[in-house]
Amino acid sequence: MPSQAIPMTLTQTLTMGLIQILAVLIAVFIMVPLLTFAERKVIGYMQVRLGATRLAGGHVGITGPMNRAMWAMGKVPMLSLLRGLPIFIADALKLITKEDIIPAKADRGVFTLAPIISVMAAFGVFAAVAYFPGTLFVFPKGFPIVGGLPFQGFITDVNVGLLFILGLASVGVYGIVLGAWASNSKYPLLGSLRSAAQIISYEVPLTLSLLVPVLLSGSLNFKDMAVALATGQGLSPLAIIPLFIGFFIYLTCGFAETNRVPFDLAEAETELVAGFHTEYSGMKFGFFYLAEYANMIVVSALATAFFLGGHFLLPFGLQRFVPASAPFIGQPSFLFFFLKVCLILFAFLWVRATLPRYRYDQLMDVGWKWLIPLTLVNLFVAALIRFAF
Amino acid sequence: MGFLKTLLPGDIAAGLALTGKYFGRVFFSANRKKIRTQLKHFTQEYPEVKVRLAPRYRGRLTMLKDEQGEIKCVCCLACEKICPTQVISIEKGKKEGRKMPFPVRYDFEMERCIFCEFCVESCGFDSIILNHQFELAGYNREDFSLGLEGTSQNMFTASPVGHHSVAEDEKR
Repeated sequence: MPSQAIPMTLTQTLTMGLIQILAVLIAVFIMVPLLTFAERKVIGYMQVRLGATRLAGGHVGITGPMNRAMWAMGKVPMLSLLRGLPIFIADALKLITKEDIIPAKADRGVFTLAPIISVMAAFGVFAAVAYFPGTLFVFPKGFPIVGGLPFQGFITDVNVGLLFILGLASVGVYGIVLGAWASNSKYPLLGSLRSAAQIISYEVPLTLSLLVPVLLSGSLNFKDMAVALATGQGLSPLAIIPLFIGFFIYLTCGFAETNRVPFDLAEAETELVAGFHTEYSGMKFGFFYLAEYANMIVVSALATAFFLGGHFLLPFGLQRFVPASAPFIGQPSFLFFFLKVCLILFAFLWVRATLPRYRYDQLMDVGWKWLIPLTLVNLFVAALIRFAF
Repeated sequence: MGFLKTLLPGDIAAGLALTGKYFGRVFFSANRKKIRTQLKHFTQEYPEVKVRLAPRYRGRLTMLKDEQGEIKCVCCLACEKICPTQVISIEKGKKEGRKMPFPVRYDFEMERCIFCEFCVESCGFDSIILNHQFELAGYNREDFSLGLEGTSQNMFTASPVGHHSVAEDEKR
């Protein structure tokens, strides 16, 4: 439990917890559609096209007359400057209002349970992610129930946060496997078997690469690790080497964990129709979709906190060269954390636009024969630096 | 082990650099308040912005006149003979003060035309071209019978049937 400076009643504790959970949920529910929109635009730009441009920016519809007038003046319409940004609302509406079809021979109970497991595993992880180590703001005194209480930058302060996150994140594969099994169809089953093998294989190097920051900071707590690694207290400057290598290994495994290109074998659409969610439609499909993008945000948040210096400006213990008295860059800020998460999410899209998919045996080769030995060597180097220097 | 080459950070970095270059180019050239003529992306925002066509785009058949305003065509009938769908029919004639034969009628049935440009290639006098007009939809069959006469449907100017885009509105 977090150490509370101000004593709270049970009602206050529960209300505060609810408010913080709601804040994080709303933030994620806004982030995910924005991310899908960003995906369209970023991949469009990388393939030398424009991506989504035509919602509320064309010359028909409610905003049509205004847009026509602006096109005639030789200007790109105001709404079109955002280039179809309203599409993210349309996407969400479409998923919610679509007909939900359950195949006749599907196992109805498990079929419904699977997306729930998937989305719960993805969202539960956010409970232990610390966006900011301290208080973001304090509720004003006159506020009902929670007046005068601090709004913290994390939901709970779990002292084995990393263990909790890794444990819950690997539950997500149950959603994929159960959903595919319950669909009673060939393609989903093949996709889910691949996915299970892939996630279990890549869990090993992922965890091993995350052991490097654990070893160097000597803690499993989210906040403590971020602070220790960014400021580099009691760390040799050489620690940057295993952290740097570990970051790239972690990112590679993170791509595999979230089933993103180039490791999206679970839904290889050229081979398996749509992989594990072939039979899903409507909001059940939406849940899988939501879980995938939420997982992307979690992986980015973990990479930010453990490798990129979290809420400090500079990663890899370089923050110690910035004086703490410096006006903005010397102090931890929520903004830095958010910025780094966005950068890694951009990297996700960038890689998707660049690399082709790996073949299944290549994927296994890379995971077992190269990444695991590499992480072990990296871990050994980290241990050497921790105890010898 | 050949596939391991694709895992090399150098190769991945080269690929990422390429896509990153394109991203930067399009990002800084698109999304401006003014419509730009020089664009770095391939997307054409057609109904609103005028289309950028390739120079050798094959549009509607058009007859040319020389500097004195005389029709260049000399009725050699090369285009009529080579036309695979036989949409061109020419009637030879004579005109005061002109040595070469003069087309009295030059009929072009656009509804059967396949825009193959054989007629233009066969023409020895450079008297016909395919222009860049592609908005050729019409409301009745007569719109597709073109000839030398008439103010709106002749072989010398662009067809009037294509004023349906905003880009055309802007031009008027």
